[in-house]
Amino acid sequence: MINDKYANKIVDIIQNFARKSSLWVVAYGTGCGAIEIPPTMTSRYDAERFGIRGSATPRQADVLLITGYLSTKTLKRVIRTYEQMQDPKYVIGFGSCTINGGMYWDSYNTIKALDQYLPVDVFINGCMPRPEAVISGFIKLQELIKEGKANGAQKYKENLEWYRENQRKVIKNWKMPDYNW
Amino acid sequence: MNLEKENKFAKQINETFHSAVVKVQRERRIIVELRSDLIPPFLSFAKEYLSFIHMAHYSCVDWLEENKFELVFMLWSYEEDVMLIVKTKIDREKPEFVTIKHLWPQAETYEREIHEMYGVDFKGNDRLGEFILEDWDDLPPMRRDFDTVKYAGEHYFTRPGREDAQDVRETIARHSGEEIPDFAKKYSIRRDEE
Ligand code: SF4
Repeated sequence: MINDKYANKIVDIIQNFARKSSLWVVAYGTGCGAIEIPPTMTSRYDAERFGIRGSATPRQADVLLITGYLSTKTLKRVIRTYEQMQDPKYVIGFGSCTINGGMYWDSYNTIKALDQYLPVDVFINGCMPRPEAVISGFIKLQELIKEGKANGAQKYKENLEWYRENQRKVIKNWKMPDYNW
Repeated sequence: MNLEKENKFAKQINETFHSAVVKVQRERRIIVELRSDLIPPFLSFAKEYLSFIHMAHYSCVDWLEENKFELVFMLWSYEEDVMLIVKTKIDREKPEFVTIKHLWPQAETYEREIHEMYGVDFKGNDRLGEFILEDWDDLPPMRRDFDTVKYAGEHYFTRPGREDAQDVRETIARHSGEEIPDFAKKYSIRRDEE
């Protein structure tokens, strides 16, 4: 009989390796940054080398890439998209707008810090980040997954109340389904 | 500059609408200012008789000091290649106007936007509901008395910036051993050297 601890560790290593090598990204472009995704995915930078691909629906995806500013209207859709995704799931905040509001810091209709509303695993800064930066952000995410540190989804589940409170502050007409994961 | 066709239009407009203030700004630009109740007949006159068949743009300007909203219509004539800009002022306290969607169907969308951003009520347009904003319950946001910085500060979490407010150029230059040109130095004064 193998020691349980070591068996779990080996399973973890294999699991994390598999997760990190195939990241499917929801095709959900918000803000201006989405324009950097086509060059990242196509032949010049070819993100598929790293196992990064687009996926059609949130239910089959692993990564939610928020490519810029989010109006409160979009935030509502993004939260629903995120909650429909299956575990394991990761969020990448892309561009200065997701970090501190960027050039939309004084806008009446966009949120300024994405990590108040969704758990972000990796931020990529720049306005907008070039494909090299995007790929380096993804590689950072892969490293975190490999080390088992990309646990945003875990954080979201454990602190759901806190996130919900923040979300309700900006989404006035709250008509969201409740999930029981 | 040959303003022949522009002046011809100006003359035609003045003959029919005596109160219109017509200005030929330059080639291919005519600006007309008009009382607001004359706008619907004027627009149909411009469309039917003066060949301005294309409504290129329709927007609103907030003249807070005068307590007026100004509606601006931009019409284009393909036959003469002239743009006609029609302006009219309406009351800001109770902003009301009539729809012109029977002349150009696309006006409906412009009116919905002006309604949402400035709060102008267009009589006869029945689609003036929620347009781009969702669940908006404050002043219409493009009005000049709406304070967007204050609103954003109150409603959205603000992440504080760096305390030192230091230009990063020096740091980068120090790392790469690069010389900062003299003219650039005055823009990158470090706090601790002040
Ligand atoms: S960070 Fe810059 S490029 Fe990205 S969404 Fe904001 S303004 Fe657009």
